[in-house]
Amino acid sequence: MVQLVSDTWYLFNKYLRITLRMPMWALFTIVQPLIWLLIFGQLFKNMANLPGFPQGRYMDFFLPGAIIMTVLFGTSWSGVSLLREINFGTIEKMMVTPVSRVSIVMSRVIHTAVTVIVQCFIIMIIAIIFGATVSGVKGAFLSLVIVFLLSLGFSGISNGLAMWLKREEPLVMLGNMMTLPLMFLSSAMVPKSFMPEWIKVITKINPIDYAVEATRAFYSGGASLHTILVGFLFLSLFAVLSISWATEMFMNQSE
Amino acid sequence: MIKTENLTKTFSSGTKAVDNLNINVEDGEIFGFLGPNGAGKSTTIKILTTLSRPTSGKAWVGGYNVQTEPVKVRCAIGYVAQETGVDYFLSGRENLVLQGRMYRMDGKTINRRVDELLELFSIKDCADQLVSTYSGGMRRKLDIATALIHNPRLIFLDEPTLGLDPHSRSQLWNYIRMLNGDLKVTIFLTTHYLDEADKLSHRIGILHKGSIKIIDTPDKLKDSIRGDSVNLELKGSAKDKAISILKGNSKVKEILLENEHVRVYVNNGSEAVQWMIKLLNENGIDVSSLSISRPSLDDVYLKYSGASFKEGDSEEGGEPWWAKWQKGGWGKNWKGGGDWKQEEGQEGGAGETGGADSGNGEWGKWSPEEMKEWLSQNKTVENETDDKGGSAVSANKEADSGNGEWGKWSPEEMKAWWSQNQKKEEEPSTENNGECKMEKDDKVTAENDENIKDKETKDEENSEEPWKKWQGTPEAAEWWAKSGKKEG
Repeated sequence: MVQLVSDTWYLFNKYLRITLRMPMWALFTIVQPLIWLLIFGQLFKNMANLPGFPQGRYMDFFLPGAIIMTVLFGTSWSGVSLLREINFGTIEKMMVTPVSRVSIVMSRVIHTAVTVIVQCFIIMIIAIIFGATVSGVKGAFLSLVIVFLLSLGFSGISNGLAMWLKREEPLVMLGNMMTLPLMFLSSAMVPKSFMPEWIKVITKINPIDYAVEATRAFYSGGASLHTILVGFLFLSLFAVLSISWATEMFMNQSE
Repeated sequence: MIKTENLTKTFSSGTKAVDNLNINVEDGEIFGFLGPNGAGKSTTIKILTTLSRPTSGKAWVGGYNVQTEPVKVRCAIGYVAQETGVDYFLSGRENLVLQGRMYRMDGKTINRRVDELLELFSIKDCADQLVSTYSGGMRRKLDIATALIHNPRLIFLDEPTLGLDPHSRSQLWNYIRMLNGDLKVTIFLTTHYLDEADKLSHRIGILHKGSIKIIDTPDKLKDSIRGDSVNLELKGSAKDKAISILKGNSKVKEILLENEHVRVYVNNGSEAVQWMIKLLNENGIDVSSLSISRPSLDDVYLKYSGASFKEGDSEEGGEPWWAKWQKGGWGKNWKGGGDWKQEEGQEGGAGETGGADSGNGEWGKWSPEEMKEWLSQNKTVENETDDKGGSAVSANKEADSGNGEWGKWSPEEMKAWWSQNQKKEEEPSTENNGECKMEKDDKVTAENDENIKDKETKDEENSEEPWKKWQGTPEAAEWWAKSGKKEG
């Protein structure tokens, strides 16, 4: 266990170092959510006037959606970089050492999640500059914990898929394909009261919906304990499951 | 140090990559592991380094069972893969430290070892630069250094000099000798270059279709050939006729067929040439070229693997899957152009068009005339090894792979390197002019009712493929960026 933690730590350090050397690359992924945030914020501005719309301004409503979108875009690269590392032989070099196999996956997933947190933080700041309201530092901080959990889950999926598909193209394609439907099948863009029944049912198993709801609750300041607890529990479960799956795929395919 | 007992690995596809392998590597020796592509070298190494599990049989490395005590095996060995596994975005020192951490060494020991190794491989000056700025030879040295961080008693070197220039190659040989001589590290070496195995190894094992054909010292192996070989190049059906004639001669010890060439083993080569030509002429057989060679590891190899060294089967179906995938294109092969040569060289026909077309980097600047001239110069060598006119294509493969180290070379350097490199494998052959050969090949093709034009188109397609694969990889992007800059 101690070894697992220390192995993960050193590998995480390596990835962090590499990211810090090329910070621009990590920042590129936030461009798209940012554009969405600004354009959607304008486009759907008047939707907030519709009867039954829960909050005052659409920008405030959509910010959690943009944050979660950043998570999706940011994590989908995790698997691609795993394939690249395999291609370069760096993974093989790790595999001949006694290093824990679990920590290879763990370090990658955690590194991705940490990167995504920084990206989301930047999005949040920009949104605030453009007039979105985030009530309280505590809410903002807790929302980043949600972001962390969701990122662990999705980068786990990305790494697992990478080991399963073994090629970059389908992986990127699948990542892109997944993003939008998952976004639309949650309350990221449209409040639940506007949704047809069947989509409402789907949102119940969509981890993105839990993350969006919890984040929104934190930002508005009116978080009910229930939403928060359910959100944390569901997302933790999602993260654990997807990382275990990724690890399983990694061990299977590599030995 | 290494012992295997009926080691067998069968892939899910049913191919037996390793078949009842029994080897025994002693403490402190350099063991050369030879075999054509697909013989199971890499698969064997993967099993011995615990990267892959055997289907049946047992193996002990450093006294530990690879299946039941993998962690102990991992701690006892160092492994240098075909692909340099060092991280390009870290500095040399960081790579070494990280590897030490992976072996769970403590910080103090790591720092001491890192300094020692940087000194040993004289990479201290650029230890803190990113590996992406290193040359191929430096990267290789660093790669070997990382494999030595935990002071292993045994290291596996999987084709360590693949794709290196002659200077780096001989430098690396010295390091390998030093590791073995001064540091008493046992070395398990696989290589494609017979001269390399000859110079370095104490003992050589020749692997063919998954099992060992023979293990002995290079000298004894060469002695076992006894005598010189006369290489004859004959046209078409004359080959069989010549073989049947020579077979009956008491002076002939053995006859081997290698592509277009007939190798006749005799006691005294120079004397044999005279009677042989006479005998063949009397029987109405024209000899288009002839050469004599002293026994080399080539001959040994030929004898035990029953095939020319260049005539590999398909690529090794190595496990884990990425090993195969790495080799199967994907912008990885450009590094070690040698693989293309074997894979594609046999299928593809000649085609200057193809060469000029897909030539890029320095090559792209050559005129077709220059290209032709260059090809004809090197033709002799190529034709010895590759089947019908594969030379142009293989040369063109090298051109394709022109990036990384290659891209930086000028045509002159390239030429020099090529000729130097080939000289070692070259058997002196007479009146085998490249230009002639080329025409001959085309004629043969035409006789085979194949439209030359069609063939050329096909060649172009063939030659384009690796290029396509290469496109879209990070290397490609990097290369484009670089070449764009040059032109701009």
